[in-house]
Amino acid sequence: MSIDRRKATLFGAAAAVRILLFTSFPGLPELLTARVEISTPVTSFKRLQEGLFLYNHNVSPYDGGVYHQAPLLLPLFSLLPSSATYPAFTYLLYILVDLLSAIALINIAESGEAVSSKLFTSPRKGKRWSSFAIAAAFLFNPFTIATCIGRPTSVFTTCAILHAISKAVQGNSFTAMFALSFAAYLSMYPILLFPPLALLCYDRRKPLKNPELMYSFVIGNAVAVGGSLYSLLHMSSLITGSWEFLSSTYGVQLLLPDLTPNVGLWWYFFIEMFDSFRNFFLGVFWIHLSSYVAGLTIRLRRQPLFVLTLLLGIFAIFKPYPSISDTSLFLAMLPLYRHVFPLMRYTFLASSTILYATLLGPAFYYLWIYAGSGNANFFYAITLVWSLGLSLLTSDALFAVLRDELEVERPEMKGKEIRQI
Amino acid sequence: MRQFHSLLLFLSLFTLSVATSDYHEQLLLTPLHPSLLLASFNFQSNTTVNSFEQQNFRNFPRSLGQILQHANTRELHLRFSLGRWDAESWGARPWGGAREGGTGVELWAWVEAETDEEADGRWLTLTNALSGLFCASLNFIDSTRTTRPVMSFQPSGDHKNSSWDNLHLLHGTLPREVVCTENLTPFLKLLPCKGKAGISSLLDGHKLFDASWQSMSIDVRPVCSAGSNDCQLQITQTIDMVLDIQRSKRPRDNPIPRPVPNEELRCDASKPYHSEDTCFPLDTAAQEEGWTLSQIFGHPLKGACPLATDGIDPVCINVPHARQVFASEGSHEHLDPNGFMRCFQLDPEKELEMILPQQEITEKAPLEQPLLYAERSFIGYGQERGGVQAILTNPSPTKAVDFVYMESLPWFMKLYLHTLKAKINGLDTHKDVIQEMYYRPALDRKRGTQLEVRILIPANSTVVLTYDFEKAILRYTEYPPDANRGFDVAPAVITIGNVSIRTTSLLLPLPTPDFSMPYNVIILTSTVMALSFGFVFNLLVRRFVAVDEADQWDVRAVRLKIAALIKAKLKRFRNAEKAEKRE
Repeated sequence: MSIDRRKATLFGAAAAVRILLFTSFPGLPELLTARVEISTPVTSFKRLQEGLFLYNHNVSPYDGGVYHQAPLLLPLFSLLPSSATYPAFTYLLYILVDLLSAIALINIAESGEAVSSKLFTSPRKGKRWSSFAIAAAFLFNPFTIATCIGRPTSVFTTCAILHAISKAVQGNSFTAMFALSFAAYLSMYPILLFPPLALLCYDRRKPLKNPELMYSFVIGNAVAVGGSLYSLLHMSSLITGSWEFLSSTYGVQLLLPDLTPNVGLWWYFFIEMFDSFRNFFLGVFWIHLSSYVAGLTIRLRRQPLFVLTLLLGIFAIFKPYPSISDTSLFLAMLPLYRHVFPLMRYTFLASSTILYATLLGPAFYYLWIYAGSGNANFFYAITLVWSLGLSLLTSDALFAVLRDELEVERPEMKGKEIRQI
Repeated sequence: MRQFHSLLLFLSLFTLSVATSDYHEQLLLTPLHPSLLLASFNFQSNTTVNSFEQQNFRNFPRSLGQILQHANTRELHLRFSLGRWDAESWGARPWGGAREGGTGVELWAWVEAETDEEADGRWLTLTNALSGLFCASLNFIDSTRTTRPVMSFQPSGDHKNSSWDNLHLLHGTLPREVVCTENLTPFLKLLPCKGKAGISSLLDGHKLFDASWQSMSIDVRPVCSAGSNDCQLQITQTIDMVLDIQRSKRPRDNPIPRPVPNEELRCDASKPYHSEDTCFPLDTAAQEEGWTLSQIFGHPLKGACPLATDGIDPVCINVPHARQVFASEGSHEHLDPNGFMRCFQLDPEKELEMILPQQEITEKAPLEQPLLYAERSFIGYGQERGGVQAILTNPSPTKAVDFVYMESLPWFMKLYLHTLKAKINGLDTHKDVIQEMYYRPALDRKRGTQLEVRILIPANSTVVLTYDFEKAILRYTEYPPDANRGFDVAPAVITIGNVSIRTTSLLLPLPTPDFSMPYNVIILTSTVMALSFGFVFNLLVRRFVAVDEADQWDVRAVRLKIAALIKAKLKRFRNAEKAEKRE
């Protein structure tokens, strides 16, 4: 009971902080919605408002260059009272989504999958944080709070991904696959999480009398994802009346026609890219992004949850329109691996780099766009630093987990210096 | 300017009755306050549709006629404009704004075609051909600059009902185009007298493009007399310009303005601070500037155009009868009995010079009040987002005004329609003001935004229309060479029945990348990606061993081991050989 009371207090406090920010600073939601670090062309709340306005006035929002988000968001938000007149309903929806994400995170943490999976148990498993602490780290992360106040639609993707993982650790593979399809439907890139998620479901499924083979299990799940994706897309085409939303939502992510600045690496690269090489490099960037999936899934077969965590970190750096919302999802999953933190080597360097970029990014953006005393290179440089800091953090976490695995294989190596050959 | 309209009405009646007369031309001069002169040149010629189709051109320009036939264009309107019409002090626009375009070049036409695609193809042919004919960048009117207005433009010609369904209206603007002498020369070549005689001899690039405001227009439309199949094709060319009289009077070899000498200053002595060294300029509203035709246009008018045989007086001036006007010998003055107009009939052989001396006169030709005052500007700051504000004022104390406001915006100005608000006299009562709306959103790199709003403004009210937009950042090859100058946004077109008003164009600054470093960006971004890829895959593909074990697995150690192994084998082999020999 006391745990439940603690959770209730935590959720209450998290909701209270957000409500306080929404109400006591009425200009804050608009300010954060306009920030390029939070809102990207594919998640912006202002663009959602525009899409909603066009949808409600019988103009196809996909026959235009502003709205690039999933069609099902339109009827969902049309059900809510208009955010211009009654913003409270929108605020409550976003707070609720954050709390739902936290619940999923608590489920993942409580399963103990992070320290002891079916095929692997960490020797440091006693050293983990409680699910309460992990949820608190997510809910009170300034990135999460800023995202919630800025109201991008990426919070729905975050929530869907966390629920997919939480259902997977509960062994509920069909629900997990549906949640994954929903996340992929909203922002496309989560489809790359399918291989590790299917393995996680396979490892965590309830013991059966006649255990299925892994391949048939994965194929069954792939069919489930395909089926639910198809039904979501078909529903969308019924809502919008045509299939033209496909090119306007997923096509934009693939081809990057909108070069609005964001914290990622793509926008400036494709502004400066020579026209004849644009398509080639779009291909290279997408292949680079998906190349991590196979490598990590095979090498870390024993810890599929860590593969998911690491992939979320990599997506937060290398996806076409990243925002701090993706970083906050990675930072939500990372505390599950509290037990390997002592094995990490560059925590100070990585965290100070990220902090440095967080503080200087908005300043440099201001210098470029408003003050006119800096140019585009200022903001570009800070996105490079940000990406470098995050990639240092992900690869360091990978190192720590591999080191942890090594100590199970060879317990005598504990505390010794190691080399790679 | 009411006289102006009565004159127009008279002219149009006249053209209907004397349909056989093919060509007429007229110049109307109207002094404007303060010390400005509006000169409106009008040239009109007709040809029957039959002779046009048989390529039998007389006064109709052949070059333009063949382009129209080739592009299946039934009605054409082309405008070249510069400057801003100051409605507050100059009143309503000449021709009710119907012969005027937005800053730069504006073109709209009704093209006959079966499908939209065919219409687009013919529009492309038309713009490219006109581009060559008028030395203008009309070929840059591509799909992003073309709109198909729904409510704003109506055909001014008479079209057969049978062909009406196949007519496509296309409209394009080039707000950046600088109108210049190279556009005037082909314009004059279309005239029957080619600028050699008649009123067109006054047109000179130095004076025309020095004007405070100028607009050149070409309209081609079919005109059918009611109830008969007898149709004519009419081409109307006009040039309107507002010239600064004082500026025109400066000698050409010494054009720098100099301060008036102290003793020539006319001061208001009634001011308390008036003294030797303090002067408040005297109100010169009653003082009419003196000028002559050759001062204003550089030379006198070179006789009448012999092809204009309809008997209409070619030069008119809109001044009170009390104003002294001296015309040179050979011309006949006709005073309009009920107004301020006087016209001159010319001798075809003799030059016309007109002299208006400086005169103290309180009577003024009345200015016609415009139906609507419109101005549009950007609001907001920074290169990320902004807003547009259009202030529309209905000056009439009694009548409401109902009009269509049309914007065609470039695609990189991402309009948020949900932020469109209309405030009337500072209050939000949006629903009564905006009556109807047509919106076609922009598609990146394919087409621009088209917004048409029907607005009703009650008497004596001001409506402020605002909306937000976001400035897109472009690929570096899509910026013009002077990227930091900004991008021109076409004027809004306001249509009130037959009257049209255009706002000024706007200059939109966009965020710019650093153009000097594509290689650096490619290299730096690739480095970060390679680092991250290296970090991860280095960990994935290599094995961990302890430092002290590492030596055993060193490449050198492996090499030594292999060498030792080979040596041992060789030794054994030699030993075996020795043993064989021994045997």
